[in-house]
Amino acid sequence: MSTHPDTGRGADPRRRGIAGWFDPRGRRLGGWAFALNRLSGLGVLLYLYLHLVILSTLASGAGAWNDFVALASSPVVLAFDVVLLAGLLLHGLNGLRVTLMGFGLVTGHRNAMIVALVLIAALVALGGAARIFGMV
Amino acid sequence: MTVTSRSLAHVRQAGAEHEWGWVLQALTGIGVLVLVTLHMVANHFVGPDGLRDFAGVIAYLSSPLIVVLEVTFLVTVTWHALLGVRAVLFDFGFSPRVERAITRVLAAVGVVTVGYGLWLTALITGQG
Repeated sequence: MSTHPDTGRGADPRRRGIAGWFDPRGRRLGGWAFALNRLSGLGVLLYLYLHLVILSTLASGAGAWNDFVALASSPVVLAFDVVLLAGLLLHGLNGLRVTLMGFGLVTGHRNAMIVALVLIAALVALGGAARIFGMV
Repeated sequence: MTVTSRSLAHVRQAGAEHEWGWVLQALTGIGVLVLVTLHMVANHFVGPDGLRDFAGVIAYLSSPLIVVLEVTFLVTVTWHALLGVRAVLFDFGFSPRVERAITRVLAAVGVVTVGYGLWLTALITGQG
């Protein structure tokens, strides 16, 4: 239960550094899911610290924060929100899949689960995009 | 070939670190999944226009339950994120000594991040 289901190791895929994530040799779908998880994870990590920086404007009082709220409704920032939502969905759903497999709660259907999580993430992100842009 | 007990101890220790890293990553990940959902619903679905203005934020943080939710989220997501950075860095195959240093530095980054978040929360709620 303590090995990573996509790599058969602990936290360690093949000890080939970042390039190892994209090495197509002997690669199964689970390996691509692993690379996707690392990339989306680094993306939401950047957002986490960006979020803390933006929240810091709250310390300067009403003016700075309300300026940000106005900026946040611009189409560029709303599009960024959709990308963020998609990244969170892919990372969260894939993490749930890996956890369920790692603790032995789900066995088999490995590729089907990856296809399903990408489809669910895409559908929810599309619904979220419609909501974010005020279409529904 | 001679294998010293010291080097075997290193192998066991490195293996053990990878094991607890992965399990903690999964457990904090489940926590983040629940808390990020609550965080996004509370901030972007409840209340007008999907994002609170300054007065709205002050009112939002006047609820102790919300402060507990947001601070728990801050701690859990920071822990999960930095465990993730640790796993990425461990992909490079550094020596056990460097890996232990990475763990200590990331723990310090985590303490500073959570400390900054707590300070900011206190500052914002203090303006109410």
